[in-house]
Amino acid sequence: MSDYIVLIKQVPDISQITDNAFNPETGTLIRGRLQNVINELDTEALAFAHQMKKLGGDGNDRIICLTMGPPMAEEVLHYALSRSADIAILLTDRALGGADTAATANPLAYAIRKIEREILNRSRDYYIITGMQSVDGDTAQVPAQIAEELDIGCVSYLTEVAFEGGRFAFNRIISGGSQVVAVKKLPAVLTVAKYEYPLYASFSATRRANRTKIIQWGASDIHATQIGAKGSKTQVIRIFPPGKTTRKCRQVKDAQELANVIFENYYRDVSSSARGAASATNYILPGRRSRNFERNFEGLERDNQNFTMLADKMHELGLEDFYEIDEESMSGLIDAFVDQFGKKGIEDMIEGMKQFNPAYQGDVWVVAEYGEGAIHPATLELIGKARELADSLEVKAGVVLAGHGLEDLSRRLIAYGADNIYYIEHELLGHFDPLPFRKAVADLVSEYWPQIVLFAATPAGRVLAPMVSYRLKCGLTADCTSLDIRDNTKKGQVAILLQTRPALGGNVMATITSINSRSQMATARPGVMKKVIPDESRTGSVFRHEIDLTDADLCMDVQKYEVSSGMVNFEVEVIVSGGKGLQNRDNYEDLINSLCTILQQKLGTNVEKGASRAAVERGYIGRAHQVGQTGTAVGPKLYLALGISGAIQHMIGVANTETIIAINSDPNAPIFKMCDYYLIGNVEEIIPQLVKGLGA
Amino acid sequence: MVVGAGPAGLACAISAKRKDPQLEICVIDKGSDPGNHNLSGAVLEPDAARGLIDVLKENWQDDELFIDVFNRAVERDDILFFLGKKCKLNIGPLIRFAGMCKLPIGNMRHDGDYIVSISRLAKLLGREARRLGIEVLFGFPAEDIILSDDGSKAMGVKLVDQGLDKEGNKQPNYSAGEIIEADVIVLAEGCDGLVTERFIEKALLKRKTNQLYSIGVKEVIKVSEEQYERFGDNRVVHALGYPVWTPVLGPGMFGGGLMYSYGDNCIAVGMIVGLDWKEFDFNPQDALTHFKNHPFVNQFINDGKVIETGAKMIPEGGFYAIPRDSETNSIGKGNVIIIGDGAGLVNMLKIKGLHNAIHSGLIAGEVIAETIKVPVTAAQRFTEIIDHSITMKEMKQAGTFRQTIAKFGNMAGFPLSVFGGLLPLFRTEPDYRTMRKKKYKYKGNREFDKDTFTALAHTEHREDQPSHLTILDSNICSTKCKPVFREPCITFCPAGVYENIMGVLKPANPSNCLHCKTCQRKCPFDNIRWTVPEGGGGPRYTLM
Repeated sequence: MSDYIVLIKQVPDISQITDNAFNPETGTLIRGRLQNVINELDTEALAFAHQMKKLGGDGNDRIICLTMGPPMAEEVLHYALSRSADIAILLTDRALGGADTAATANPLAYAIRKIEREILNRSRDYYIITGMQSVDGDTAQVPAQIAEELDIGCVSYLTEVAFEGGRFAFNRIISGGSQVVAVKKLPAVLTVAKYEYPLYASFSATRRANRTKIIQWGASDIHATQIGAKGSKTQVIRIFPPGKTTRKCRQVKDAQELANVIFENYYRDVSSSARGAASATNYILPGRRSRNFERNFEGLERDNQNFTMLADKMHELGLEDFYEIDEESMSGLIDAFVDQFGKKGIEDMIEGMKQFNPAYQGDVWVVAEYGEGAIHPATLELIGKARELADSLEVKAGVVLAGHGLEDLSRRLIAYGADNIYYIEHELLGHFDPLPFRKAVADLVSEYWPQIVLFAATPAGRVLAPMVSYRLKCGLTADCTSLDIRDNTKKGQVAILLQTRPALGGNVMATITSINSRSQMATARPGVMKKVIPDESRTGSVFRHEIDLTDADLCMDVQKYEVSSGMVNFEVEVIVSGGKGLQNRDNYEDLINSLCTILQQKLGTNVEKGASRAAVERGYIGRAHQVGQTGTAVGPKLYLALGISGAIQHMIGVANTETIIAINSDPNAPIFKMCDYYLIGNVEEIIPQLVKGLGA
Repeated sequence: MVVGAGPAGLACAISAKRKDPQLEICVIDKGSDPGNHNLSGAVLEPDAARGLIDVLKENWQDDELFIDVFNRAVERDDILFFLGKKCKLNIGPLIRFAGMCKLPIGNMRHDGDYIVSISRLAKLLGREARRLGIEVLFGFPAEDIILSDDGSKAMGVKLVDQGLDKEGNKQPNYSAGEIIEADVIVLAEGCDGLVTERFIEKALLKRKTNQLYSIGVKEVIKVSEEQYERFGDNRVVHALGYPVWTPVLGPGMFGGGLMYSYGDNCIAVGMIVGLDWKEFDFNPQDALTHFKNHPFVNQFINDGKVIETGAKMIPEGGFYAIPRDSETNSIGKGNVIIIGDGAGLVNMLKIKGLHNAIHSGLIAGEVIAETIKVPVTAAQRFTEIIDHSITMKEMKQAGTFRQTIAKFGNMAGFPLSVFGGLLPLFRTEPDYRTMRKKKYKYKGNREFDKDTFTALAHTEHREDQPSHLTILDSNICSTKCKPVFREPCITFCPAGVYENIMGVLKPANPSNCLHCKTCQRKCPFDNIRWTVPEGGGGPRYTLM
C-alpha cells in the first residue's frame, strides 16, 4: 500500500506568549523568551497519517517525517519518532534560511523527490500529509506550493478519514460546509485542518527514538532551485506591534443604555483600530502630486519625513526641477544632510526621486469566488479595494470569474466596481478543484499580466492563490488585513503594493512587498476590506475565455457535499458568550438564543454563540463553542460576555476583540477591569430587558 | 527504573550510573519537562550540595546552569515571630542560643545553606543524568506497580492509559498504559506518591504513626531593585505566628511564612500550613495573603509582580512515619526502594527535606550498583546503610517534634519539644479527621483569586480526559459534609478544582489541578482520591 510523508515544523509556542516576548520598539519576537514546540496542526497531521496507515495499510507502510529548520528542529522529529514515524529527515542548511513560502516549498519538494528516489524506490504510491498551516507563519501556502512544484494535486482542510471499498474518503471543510472527497491520483498533498486526536508518545517508541539516527540533508543534497532569501518572492519590510486598543471599562447603568452602546459600537468606524485595516489617504502617483519633489507616500513613516525635509531644502535652494541641480546646489544638499543620510544616501534619494514610472504595469485584478449561486461576500469586498487601488494607479479593475454557467453574475460584479470581467467557462469548473482552477486563472493572468492579483483568504482562495503564484513565479502574501500602494523612492520604486498582515497569532503585524515578481499577489482576510455601495448603472466589459480541461486535470472526486448548520464559526462580527452566571443549560439556551436572534436581525450580521470554560464544563453547550486559551481565540467586533467572571485564560482568548461588553452580578468580577462597557446585574433579568431594548 | 525525576530520583540514577556505567537506567516523570513538578522553598545544606557535586563532575565551575543553581548561599537568616497584623519579634537569637545549647529546636537555622530553586536543580540534574547516558523520559505517568504472584518481588510499573474521553471511552488515539519491567524499582515520587502509596498497601509496609502533611503555597514575586537591595540577595526569612497561630486566642495551626532571595530582583514568598488545621473555612492562600500584607513582608514586595505560583504538600510525620517492612524493617521491600519525600524524609526541626532526599538518592544509587546481581536485597541493604547514616540520625532526633506539636499545640508543643528524643511518640489522628466546625479568625471577605494563581503555575491538562480526581461517594458531600463543613475542598483547594454545581459537589475543573494532593488528605470524610492524569499534565514550574 501507500507510504506517508509527513511534513512537520518547529514553531515558537505562541500559546504561552506574554507581552515581554516582544521587543516593544520593533515588535519582533524575542525568540529566546518562547519555547519551541511542534506546530500543533502538524501533530494532528501525524495522527491523521497514523490513522490512514491503520485503516488502509498492511502494516508495512512507512511514515516518513520531514522537517526543514535549524539543527534544533531535530526535537520535532524526535516527537514524531516517539509516536509513529519510522524515518525522520532533517533538512538543515544556513543557505535555506530567510526563505518565504515559495523558497520553503521548493526545497521541501526537492527533498520529497529525493525521498521518492532513494527511500521509496521510485514508487509514486505515497501521500504527503501536513498541517494546514503553521502558527508562526499562518499562511497555509507551503503545502499548496509544494503540490504545484511537484505538479500533483492538493486536497486541503481535511478533518476526517474513512476507508471504504479499498479507497480513502476524506471529509474536508469548504466555505459554508463540508464535502467528502476521494483523491484521484497519487502522490497527492493532503492538509489537515482539524484532527483532534494527537498521538501519545509510547515508552518503547521514545526509547527507540532516543537511539534512532536522524537523517540529515543539506542544500547541496537536494539540488533545489529556489532557496533562502535569494529565492524568495516576497520580503518583509516592516514589523510592528498591532495597535492594541486599551479597554475603556465604562459602567453602563441599564439595559436600554447598553442596547445603545451595542448599536454605537457596532456601527462605529474603526479604521485605525486593532484590526489593522487602516487605510490612510489614497495614493497619488508622483506625477500628480501638488508640489515638486513631493515624496510623501513612502512605505516607512521615517522615509516620509526624510523626503519632506529633503524636498523642503530643495525648494529653499530655489530648485524647480531635477536638471537644475548643479554642483553648487548638490553640495548645499549634501552639507545639509550628510550627517543624517551620508553622501551616498542623499544621491540615492535624489536619483530615486527622478523615477516617476510605476514599478509595475497592468490592471488590478480580483479572482472571484462563488458558491451556492452567489458571489462570496469577500469577493465584493475585494472589488471595492481593487477599485480604490486601480483608481489611484489610474488603471482598470478586473475580475476573474471561472466557473460554469455564471455569466449572469458579471453584471453584479460590475455594479460593485469592476471595469472588466474575464469569464472562463467550463463544465469542469462547476465545483472547486484547485488543479483546473489554478490552470484557468494562471493562464489568464499570464496572458494579461495585471500588476496586482487579489484573492479572498477563504478555504478555496488559500489553496488557489499559492498554486497560481508559484506557477507564475510571483510573490504572494497571505491573509492581508491592509493593502496600500506606496513608493520606495530610495530604491527608485514607484507605486508598489504594501501587503500588511497579522503574524504569530495576531501578536505582530508585518508589512510585506513582492520582489522578483511580474505581478503582486495577495490573499485578503474576509470581512476587513469595505464593499462599495453597488451602482447598477455602472458599465463594464466582459471578456469570455476558453480553456481545455479533461477529467485528468482534476485531483479529487467529490462524493458528497453538505452545507453545514451546526458548525461553529467564530469568524463573525458579533459573538455572544455565556458563563456559569447563567446558572443552567435552559437559561443558557433561552437567553443566549434570544439575544443572538435579535442581534442578528437588528445588525444584519451573523452572530455566533460562545461560552466560558465553566459553562462548557457544566454542559450548557458543546466544547466547540468554548472561547479562551483552551478553546478558540476570537477577535470579533463585539464580544458580549454574559455571566462570565473573566478569568485570565478566557480574556487572553478575546484580546483581539474590538469592543468587549460584560454583564455580571458580581461588582468585583475581574472582567470589569478588562472590558469596554459593563453592567452590574443579574443576567437572567438583564438579558430580556436588553432584548427588548434592542428590539425597540 | 526510577519513578520521579526530582532531586532524589535523579541523584539516585546518577550515583548508580557513576558507580556502574554498565547499568541501564531509566527515570520516568509525569511532568512535561525537567523540574516542572518540583516545588520547594528551598534551602539546601552544603553537605548535600557537596555530595551531589561529587557524583556530578569536576569542572562544574565553568557550567552556567550549575553556577546559576548554586550561586546563592544564605548570609542572613532571620526567624521572626509575627504577633499580629503588625508586630514582629525576632527570635533568631533565641534559636541560635538553643543551637548553642544543643537543643533540637536550635536546628532551625540555615547559615551557609544554599538557596536553590528545586525546579532548576531538577533541571540541572536531569541534564547531567542524560549526559551520563541515563534515559530520563518526561510525560510518562506511572499509576501502579506490578508485584510477582508471591508478592516478594516487583516486576514492573504500569503507565496510565491515555486517550480516553471524559466518560472513559476510547478515542481514536487511545493508547493502553505500557508495563515497564525492571530489575530494581526506585520510588522517588515525592510527597504522597501514587505508586508509592499503592506499593505500601500491596507490600504491606507499615508506618509506626500516620503520615502528617502540610501544604506550602508559594509565589515568586518580582520586586523593584530598591526593594530587593533592601531585602538582600542572600537572605532567608522564616516567620512563625500570625496569621496561622496566635497565642491563646488562636488560630492554632502549625506553620509559618517564608521569604527567600531568588536573584533577578525576585523574592520567593511562601506559606506552609500543617494539614491538621481545624477551621473548615480556611484556605492556605488566605494565610499567604495575610502574610504578604504584614508590614514586614509588604515593604519588600509591595507593587511587585507575581511571576510564578505553585502549591505542594510536605510530608511532616518524620522518623516514625517512614514506611517500613514489618519483618525486615526495610524502607521499601525486596527490589523496591522508596526514597526522598516519598519515604517522608523531611526533618521538621530544620523544616528541610531536600538534603535528605538527595542523600537517600545517592545511597540508593550506590546500593543498586552494588546489589544488581541480587536485586531483591536492594531495599534491605539500602535500609542498613541509611539507618546508620547522618540522615537517619537527624530524622530520629526530630522524630517526635511534629507529633508533639500536633498533640499539644504550638504553645506547649514548642517548649516541650526541647526534650527532643526523650519524649514518647504521641499518637496523632490523620489530618482529615481534625476538621471542626470552627471558623478561621482572619477570614477576609474577598475570595483569593485562584484563577490567576493557577494561570501563573502554568498548569495544563488535556480537557477531554476522565477526571483524575474522584469523589468516592457524593452523598457524603451533600448529606454529611455540606451541613457541617460546607464542603471545605471548594475553599482549600489552591487551584479551585472543586465546585458545587447544582447541588452536587464535583471536581469541576480537574485541568486546574496543581498535583498538590491536599484534597485527598484533607477531605474531612476521606472521600477524595487523586490518580495521575495523562502525561505532561499538571503545573509547569520553572522557578519554584
